[in-house]
Amino acid sequence: MNKDLFRLTPSGLAGLVFAAFCFVVLPSVAGSYWLAILTSSACFTMAISGVAFMHARLGMVSLTQVGLMGVGGWVTLRLNYLWDFPFEVNLVIAALLTMICGWVLALPALRLRGLYLALVTLMAAGGLEILFATYQFPNGGEGFWGVKIGSTEPFRGSILATSPTAYLRYVIVAATLGFLLIEAHRRMFPGRAWALIRRSEAAAMAAGVNVTLYKTWAFGIAALLAGASGGLLAGSLGLLDDGTFRASESIMLFALAVVGGARFWLGAVIAAFLYRVLPAILNTWGVDSDLAYVIFGVGLLHALITAPDGIGGQIMALFRRKSQEQS
Amino acid sequence: MSKASVFNWLFLAALMAGSWLYLADGKPFKVTGLFLASGLAIGALYALGGIGMVVLYRASGVLNFSSGAAGAAGAMTSWQLVQWGIWPPIAWLACIAVALLLTLAYGALIAPKLAWRETVVKAVATLGFALIILGFVSFIWIDDPRSLELPTDKIGVSMMGLRITLTRLIAFAAAVGISAGIWVFLDRTNIGLQMRAVANSRDLSALLGIPIRRVETIAWGISGLLAGFTGLMFANLIRLEPVVITFMVIPSVAAALAGRLNSLFLVLVGGLCMGVIENLLTLSPLLKSVRPIAPFVIAAVVLLWHQRGARLIFEGRD
Amino acid sequence: MTIRHALAGLIGLFAIGFGGAALAAPSCGANTGQAATGEPIVVGGIFSNGAPGDWSSATDSAAAYFACVNANGGIAGRPIEYLVEDDQWNPESAAAAAAKLVGDKKAVAMVGNGSFIEMAVNAKTYVDNGIMAMASACAISECFETPNLVSTNQGPLSSNLGAAQYAQEELGSKNVACIGLNIPNNGIWSCQAVIDYMKSKGGDGSMALLNPGAPDVNSALLEAVASGADTILMNLPAGLALAVLKAAQEQDLRDSYIWIAPTPLYDLSVPDAVGEYWHGKIFVNAELAPLSVGGPDAQNWISVLDAFGKADDPRDTFSQAGYLSARFFTEAMLTMDPAKLDDRAAVSDAIRAIKGYTSDLMCGPFYVGDADYHMPNHAGYMVKIVAGGFEIVRNCYEYDSSYFDKHKALEAELGLR
Repeated sequence: MNKDLFRLTPSGLAGLVFAAFCFVVLPSVAGSYWLAILTSSACFTMAISGVAFMHARLGMVSLTQVGLMGVGGWVTLRLNYLWDFPFEVNLVIAALLTMICGWVLALPALRLRGLYLALVTLMAAGGLEILFATYQFPNGGEGFWGVKIGSTEPFRGSILATSPTAYLRYVIVAATLGFLLIEAHRRMFPGRAWALIRRSEAAAMAAGVNVTLYKTWAFGIAALLAGASGGLLAGSLGLLDDGTFRASESIMLFALAVVGGARFWLGAVIAAFLYRVLPAILNTWGVDSDLAYVIFGVGLLHALITAPDGIGGQIMALFRRKSQEQS
Repeated sequence: MSKASVFNWLFLAALMAGSWLYLADGKPFKVTGLFLASGLAIGALYALGGIGMVVLYRASGVLNFSSGAAGAAGAMTSWQLVQWGIWPPIAWLACIAVALLLTLAYGALIAPKLAWRETVVKAVATLGFALIILGFVSFIWIDDPRSLELPTDKIGVSMMGLRITLTRLIAFAAAVGISAGIWVFLDRTNIGLQMRAVANSRDLSALLGIPIRRVETIAWGISGLLAGFTGLMFANLIRLEPVVITFMVIPSVAAALAGRLNSLFLVLVGGLCMGVIENLLTLSPLLKSVRPIAPFVIAAVVLLWHQRGARLIFEGRD
Repeated sequence: MTIRHALAGLIGLFAIGFGGAALAAPSCGANTGQAATGEPIVVGGIFSNGAPGDWSSATDSAAAYFACVNANGGIAGRPIEYLVEDDQWNPESAAAAAAKLVGDKKAVAMVGNGSFIEMAVNAKTYVDNGIMAMASACAISECFETPNLVSTNQGPLSSNLGAAQYAQEELGSKNVACIGLNIPNNGIWSCQAVIDYMKSKGGDGSMALLNPGAPDVNSALLEAVASGADTILMNLPAGLALAVLKAAQEQDLRDSYIWIAPTPLYDLSVPDAVGEYWHGKIFVNAELAPLSVGGPDAQNWISVLDAFGKADDPRDTFSQAGYLSARFFTEAMLTMDPAKLDDRAAVSDAIRAIKGYTSDLMCGPFYVGDADYHMPNHAGYMVKIVAGGFEIVRNCYEYDSSYFDKHKALEAELGLR
């Protein structure tokens, strides 16, 4: 244990304040429509934090995050109809199983790097898309796949959060815990190993760091977060559709993580905002939500060419400059 | 041809032949032949998409995810022109022209800003361009059932009791012809030599005085032409839907990976192999429902096989 | 016979083309001719417009009917404010759309819904909020097997059964291959019913499933071909069914099979879209009266669309179903105590009390009743695609399947049989 583990940085403080604000204010002011939109944004914030963390800390591009969310959602639904465990137990098992899936995917993939790693994860996302479309999500049937013909059986949601308002708070707490998990890792030994690997794999190896282990570990954390967020999404809707988990959505999620700014918590929040809230705003204004794609695309090119830290990075830099001026 | 690439070639061909023998065994050719013909046409489209990617990737280090979107924009334009009563051949040419212009515009305006970044960043940037095109195309043409007819759809050729449309034959012949043509171009012409030099080392080629921008523009042009032609064929043979055509780049990437982003010939064989196996799997009661997974599995196997025994190599060029 | 029907079809087409001019002004609601002015009554509707299908035709025609009602006295002088949301074939959007309409806008009922996903996501929301949804383009089992949803269309299960029954009885089908979407509560649910039906008649059946996002329809067609069937049932949205037919034409499979389809192919643009090659070869089940029947209510539907709809609103079965849902809803509202029009529970009760409403668009009477399952419409027509339109090959017939036993019992109980 080191004392740095609990040190509060200005960015961390801002993050906790923001989470508290979201927890207290958002659910009480949002109407039913925005509750639904914000809940799915909060779920995706968690998944994005995983993919952004891999990109920022290790330079790895994973294009399969939404596919892994689907795995988490699948397991949550399957367990819901299999046993009478509470939702939370199913969610934790789903997150852990997704983490194992992440490891399985990572071990062969980690021999590859850069573009090839991105492409092999894209192949995995393409494969998962087909599996979801073929076997569908469990709806209360028998057998391994748990799919029955006809209508969906009722889903047992969390008993801690039965109303949409409470469920939004629930997801916000879960997403905050996800960020804290990443931050805690970053401050302990794995974080130092990752920093070294990011700088130079050769140096890391020479220093006795088990590169494969720590890369796999990072993959596992990202998968854990994806699995939990998929389970939370299932919990909010009571069912899932394969259309949510296409490979193209994984690509989009990564692109938005870059637009938001992969190095900061704010980046994941902005990315999720762009992914789910912006189309809803356009829809409310009567603007065709297809135009959101144009905004995503321009944002991505802008981020890659001129703002490597994304929108989140620019906002953070603005605040840092302000506080320096004051001091 | 290197030993590894001969091996990959044999692996893909054996895979295709093996699945034919295993799945089509004992069934009349009148039925299995339909799957073979359909698979070759689809596989040719995967291969065409993959070849366009590999040509550009070798010359500029950009894996172009926006080729599908450019093809979709072209195909939709073509459909619109036909609706307006324009003479169809002009509409088809417009499809290729739109895709070419979009691709060249990216190559000339955006790609140079990222020329010295890592390949993965360049690839992700093309996604941004793909999203912009897709956004505008879906905005202009709202979802509606549409189809793009070609006169060759109505002309059929009977072979061994099967009727195969001329369009499918054209797709197949184009894939073979274009990959052969590009191979000759790269191997025999001066520009081709320069392109191979740039592919090998951009820095050294620049030092040698090779006009990198010109070489790259030609590569972008070839990629754009192929994107347009592939888009037209996808729209006709598969479906005229912008999102579907845009994300057909994913199986095209699979075909490109089968050639390890390098060998055109392997991309062609790999793409055909993927299309044929995907269609033949329909005959397997166990696997028929997951048949579209075939391209991804084959690509992953080829990629990982190539990496077998490779130790963790240190960061370098991808 | 043929000439007479062709003539009837021609007259039908004329009625469509010149409906606004040739027919009497549309009749809607209280039919006062006075615009309604009071405080609006909020009614919601959710449709799906996302690849691969657009189901907005029902909400479009419901909107046209409500506009007509508002121009004709509204409900007790109050206009209907009809709010429509698109679920984009995405469960999150579907949940958000219902949250907006039911939770935020306080709609008293949902009318004209058409979707593949919305009903599965929101069936529980509707029950929890005590709101009734009178859907019109319902494609999944939840539409017919949950307490608060009732639809004027039949859905794929009934329409498939109708088509298969005709093929079995009249065309000599022994083995039907059903090409459907790989969705448990849509394609699998409705294809399985056909297989069961064929087996009960001593025949056989199989299903070839298509992933909704999968681009290539040809492999599903070839799977159906490889199954050894003599009849191919295209249980798909119109766009995908057209793609299947195009692939079949390319391989010249027309004469080797009997081609049947449920109602999505009953759309006036289809005969031109399939082309001459298919004319006279495709048999389509129509859940509601074909246009050429042209009864007074059918003519009223056309004149409502001409006067209050958009020119490009489709004139298809789902448009008829949307019109019917809106009309039946309006009639139920007109029977209510005007003081209770904003009371969702009272409106739901009025909808559940609907019994024996008739229209020449529907073969049987429409009812809702207080049950956990609703399928009031389970009789239809069979038509054949011919040049320029459709030819009726069988008039109103009730589908023969044990699936409908409980519905028939309910109808007997309500005194409708």
